[in-house]
Amino acid sequence: MSRKTKDEMTPKQRAAAIANGEEVDRMPCNPNVANGVARVYGCKISEFNTSAKTLAEAQIAGYRRFGYDSVRVFTDLFPWAEAMGAEVTMPEDDTVDLKTPAIKDPADYKKIHPLNPYKDGRLPVHLDAMKYLIDGVGDEVGISAAIVGPFTNACFLLGVENVLRFCYKNPEAVHHLCQVSLESLIAYADAAIDIGLGPTISEPMSSCTVISPKIFREFSAPYLKQLVDHFKSRDRGVVMHICGQTADIWEDIADMGVAGFSIDNVASIEECKKKIGNKTKILGNVNPGTTMYMGTPAEVRMATLQCIKEGYDSPKGFMPMSGCSLPVETPFENIDMMMDTVRELGYPVDPEKLDRMMKETEAELEKEKA
Amino acid sequence: MARSKEELIAAMGNAVLEMEDEEAAALAEEYVEAGYDAMEGLTEGLAKGMNRAGELYEEKEYFIPELLLCSDAFYGAVDVLRPHIQKKTDSGEQMTAVIGVVEGDTHDIGKNILKIMLETEGFDVYDLGKDVPTQNFIDAAREHNADFIGMSTLMTTTMIKMSEIIQELKNNGLRDRVVVMVGGGPISEAYADKIGADGYEPDAASAARRARELVLAHRS
Repeated sequence: MSRKTKDEMTPKQRAAAIANGEEVDRMPCNPNVANGVARVYGCKISEFNTSAKTLAEAQIAGYRRFGYDSVRVFTDLFPWAEAMGAEVTMPEDDTVDLKTPAIKDPADYKKIHPLNPYKDGRLPVHLDAMKYLIDGVGDEVGISAAIVGPFTNACFLLGVENVLRFCYKNPEAVHHLCQVSLESLIAYADAAIDIGLGPTISEPMSSCTVISPKIFREFSAPYLKQLVDHFKSRDRGVVMHICGQTADIWEDIADMGVAGFSIDNVASIEECKKKIGNKTKILGNVNPGTTMYMGTPAEVRMATLQCIKEGYDSPKGFMPMSGCSLPVETPFENIDMMMDTVRELGYPVDPEKLDRMMKETEAELEKEKA
Repeated sequence: MARSKEELIAAMGNAVLEMEDEEAAALAEEYVEAGYDAMEGLTEGLAKGMNRAGELYEEKEYFIPELLLCSDAFYGAVDVLRPHIQKKTDSGEQMTAVIGVVEGDTHDIGKNILKIMLETEGFDVYDLGKDVPTQNFIDAAREHNADFIGMSTLMTTTMIKMSEIIQELKNNGLRDRVVVMVGGGPISEAYADKIGADGYEPDAASAARRARELVLAHRS
């Protein structure tokens, strides 16, 4: 299977043309490669913890290799909690994980201080990487800085289970930690915006798989809203991602005025489109595990087309993406296939061509099974 | 006036279900002081409250915070009853489970809930924790003469460890002696079949029920 060598437009040209209602080479697409860029560039993932240049060059290598439409500085969920005192484990060649929360004794929750993005933890490395990225590819592709949402960060400050218990037992403590997290995340995001990036928010602990919509509305949504409002005040739209099932909070999120919402593969694009497609752009949601990591290229092609079929006519726009960050060892041929599928389909989407491609792919899958 | 056994059993179940940890422990004290049967208080009162909480979780009435608080109330009251429970030795239903999150993964909320659910189904549970090396599963299965091994992962990158553990059970001649179940976000029935596990369930409550059925079937 040959891969078309190059797209006709840069992601920035493409996005601008689509915004003007013009025809373009293909729809934008983001396989969401994350730390897998280390496999393209040929470095250990732990080098991202110390070398801004490596982090940036690996991101550029991933972008050049696959041609996707979004570059993002995002290594793991914990840099902000770490900058506020949490301990993390840093495997040599795998993603950083939380070791111990910032606050050892829950009674000490008031001792937590907002972070300084220019000084604390790995944040200066991230900010420097952003400068390299802007210099390197800033004129051709949108670059974003990831942050977690305030509630998720609060969970890492005090420990996930403690925070979940405190939602009932000590609501004031949860609000306090969310407030300090909000200030911290704004400080970091402001530094990123000053460099020229736009923010994205990942808020995994707000998933309806973890907390109820009621707890979400009391403890998470008010701070997310303030975060989104702050970005709007700086003329930055923001794409939000929440893992797991989210259908019961879609309207809350859309009403915050996010520019886009990226959904997990357990949620339905079709339903999401019906509910909030007239308020915000929808992104998603090829299964990063079963399909992208473990599936065959034909399965990736089918899943990508399926997402597009469900979402392409969403009023505020749609972008095919993976349902969450890809596993580091996702085969390159599957990532290529996702991109090649949107290249072949073109833009605007011709529904007949889409159906034809789906039928061909179905036949291919039948053959694979036989 | 002292409350009847039935009243206290119902109240303990409710206290667990309503996340009232202090209330549950106080009721358990009252129950023990009245001289009622501790095992019955556990199985008919506390465990039923916990089971009901599990059902509410399946029905999306309860979520992780509620389950954590129910399990806090459950364990607090169990601690009160435990010293008064006569050990069953001849029921023929004593079952031993070894559970853990496979190596490379530290997501353990689901596994912790499974532990509670298995205990309510009558298992003695050896919890190996999270990020557990394959060899530890093998050693624990042998040492505790386990009837059941439950392993979970939330990450696609560590799923492969499950197949490795099953292979090692075979290599050590233990596979036929234990029922093996797998669970976690990316796991499916199809994956369980593919790697030769005996079962998969999408949530902890049904997994514990299935574990009991499979172990009893395996014995007969």
